[in-house]
Amino acid sequence: MGIMNFFKPILCTLFFLLCVSINACTQNKQVNTDVSIKIKGSDTIVNLVQMWTEQFIEKNPSFNINITGGGSGAGFAALINKTCDIVMSSRPIADKECKLAKYNNILPVGFEIGRDGLAVIVNKNNIIDKLTIEEVKDIFTGKISNWKSFGWEDREIVVLSRESNSGTYTFFKNKIIRHNNKSEDEFSTNVLMMPSSQSVYNEVCQNPNAIGYVGMGFVNNNVKVISIATDIHSQYIAPIPLNVMNNKYPISRPLYFYIDYKRDSAVNKFISYVLSEVSQKNIIKAGFIPAKLNIKT
Amino acid sequence: MSQIIAKNFNLYYNNFHALKDINVTINEHMITAMIGPSGCGKSSFLRAINRINDTIEGVTTTGQINVLGQDIYNKKVNINALRRNVGMVFQRPNPFPISIYENVAFGLRVNRILTKKNMIDIIVEKSLRDVLLWKDLKDKLKKSALNLTLEQQQRLCIARVLAVEPHIILLDESCSSLDPVAVQRIEELMLKLKDQYTIVMVTHNMQQAARISHDTIFMLSGNLVEFNTTKNIFSKPIKRETQDYISGKYG
Amino acid sequence: MRKIIDSLTEKIIFICGMLSIVFVILIFSFLFKEGFSFFKHFGCIKFVFGTLWYPTSEPAQFGILPLIIGSFLVTLGACIVAIPIGIMTALYISEIAPKYLRDILKFLVELIATIPSVVIGFVGMIFFVPVVKLVFKVPTGLTAFSGAIMLAFMAIPTIVTISEDAIHSVPCHYREGALALGATKWQTIRRVVLKAAMPGIIAAVMLAIGRVVGETMAVMMITGNAASIPHSVFSPVRTMTATIAAEMGETVRGSMHYQALFAIGLVLFVITFIINFIADLLLETKRK
Repeated sequence: MGIMNFFKPILCTLFFLLCVSINACTQNKQVNTDVSIKIKGSDTIVNLVQMWTEQFIEKNPSFNINITGGGSGAGFAALINKTCDIVMSSRPIADKECKLAKYNNILPVGFEIGRDGLAVIVNKNNIIDKLTIEEVKDIFTGKISNWKSFGWEDREIVVLSRESNSGTYTFFKNKIIRHNNKSEDEFSTNVLMMPSSQSVYNEVCQNPNAIGYVGMGFVNNNVKVISIATDIHSQYIAPIPLNVMNNKYPISRPLYFYIDYKRDSAVNKFISYVLSEVSQKNIIKAGFIPAKLNIKT
Repeated sequence: MSQIIAKNFNLYYNNFHALKDINVTINEHMITAMIGPSGCGKSSFLRAINRINDTIEGVTTTGQINVLGQDIYNKKVNINALRRNVGMVFQRPNPFPISIYENVAFGLRVNRILTKKNMIDIIVEKSLRDVLLWKDLKDKLKKSALNLTLEQQQRLCIARVLAVEPHIILLDESCSSLDPVAVQRIEELMLKLKDQYTIVMVTHNMQQAARISHDTIFMLSGNLVEFNTTKNIFSKPIKRETQDYISGKYG
Repeated sequence: MRKIIDSLTEKIIFICGMLSIVFVILIFSFLFKEGFSFFKHFGCIKFVFGTLWYPTSEPAQFGILPLIIGSFLVTLGACIVAIPIGIMTALYISEIAPKYLRDILKFLVELIATIPSVVIGFVGMIFFVPVVKLVFKVPTGLTAFSGAIMLAFMAIPTIVTISEDAIHSVPCHYREGALALGATKWQTIRRVVLKAAMPGIIAAVMLAIGRVVGETMAVMMITGNAASIPHSVFSPVRTMTATIAAEMGETVRGSMHYQALFAIGLVLFVITFIINFIADLLLETKRK
């Protein structure tokens, strides 16, 4: 025990000092800033908003902007509970949430800040590269459970979804599983619910049996992206920015910021920066598509 | 046959020389008492006879102790078999936290002497009868041994030793935690057992040694000072130190 | 003056003791309040034995049988792995290992205990899950089995440290008594030391089970979270704790879904209570 006993207190002291100094540094930072904005919501666009924020702060160093994910639902809940200033959302506000907000004396106002295509992704070794919306639905509702139905090897399909608090989940469910709310179908109970888009991506990367959906921002060369057709008679469309912008790709959606009507000028300033031409051009770098109304590329 | 013969036996706790050149022959089928002041080495010597000292870190020995015709410090000796033949009763009663029955059957089971249930039953009953516990406990055999009185616990520990039929029984101040009446009854028990077993007992209590032992060993600071019949030790000791100890000058 | 300090200290200690009781009562009543109104609306049987969990659909389904089975499967698996390994490690450390090794091992085990569960979950997700898929040739490595192994990893330090304490404090005269009767070292350990240390070992196991049942982060990352009734340990499962953690963020206070999550909390509370109760009962009968 001799050596251990000797080092333990030293380690503890060092750790303590480290904590204290980190704490001191962060506190210093807060002292120097004047305005703070809290942003919460969709995990899909956390990285995008993070990028905008960094660029924004470079020009406006007096701002302190705090971004957290947790899902669009969590963002709206936070706005209603008055613990955030801006909700980043991958879906429009629900009626229920709107009512609750008004009940809490909050009037939510939304801005479209860009567009996102949901990419259906599979492992690189998968031979399938195109599916119809109906086929995707059959996979996610459990009607088709083996890849051999699509002419590939006899492999059980591992279906990956996000948790139900994710805006991506809600969008996918409404668009694919329920055909824009025209049916009452559900995800199969065998669908694996992943806590983040990153974990969906990871599993698809290393599991040949897997299929999942993520925002287009997450796609890269390590996974295979599926082209989607509305039905068997239509053309299969790849989820690339051009196809989302000209509305050809069927699983795309607008992205929003929601704020309280009575927001302060700091929030206004940030939002106008986000909607500016520079920011909208930068959105492509993050794997998203500019909000159609505001900009031409 | 059941003699215990020590030849130039030395024992060290790390650098401490606890037993110095012990030479003695302890006779069979009688009670031999070991007396001496605290720290004189009498317990160390007793614990050397069944090699229970081996469990203490840093113990080394030189010389021999012959038990049942073999040098027990020879590398080839089976320690488990040795300890089965040399039973030990400790200072404080130490029944295991299991039932009374299982306490007595413990030695039979670990040494695989008997495996049939009815055979074990017979030995358990016999052992408990020998220590005069059977009448009181025959209906409580499944109860935990820890609920017994101290005297009953010590008797149980003796019964546990008797069950494996050893040749030698070592008692390490086994009466020191009991009340006078219990002591008397245990002494009676020992007198009864001495015809079948060789008994070596360490005691703090000179009267006890005088009462029940045939031979007595007197030890002082790791040396065996005098070994003689109890009668001689107490009436006409040869050595000056023995005389002083017996008359209460120290100890 | 000293008397005042004395009585003051006594009172402070009393208040601290009472506070913990108050906290338990508060937590329970809060759980009960939210959970109970859910039971009233939805029905207890339908909740506990329902097999469909679609909390955000219209109409919503709140059947937690798959979640209960999921939690049970992961906990059971973790126990089967962690209890023997934990107890054997404890035995090795306190009875067999030489002194220098004992100190190093104890230090390492305590170090493992301090690893945050997120880190364990992350490591499991990146390194262990692919291995499970490969070795057992299952469609995905995100299974109850992976979760159980990772949780066992977290439970082992608890079991080891507490049972090591218990074994270490078994009085020496038990060991000597057994050895003196001719028992081998292993017989002594198995027949006497373990029996004497049993209350402490059971306490260690209970604490570990408590940690496993309540663990959230790691299981959320590696069990796949599919709310279906698993057909084997190599199926993905969704546990009760993961469900609460994953969904609590989104729910609006006071909604049905929010209350359902509290009702799950209540079920968890009852389950852990029953486990503790059984353990106490076991110990009690052992003593007699």
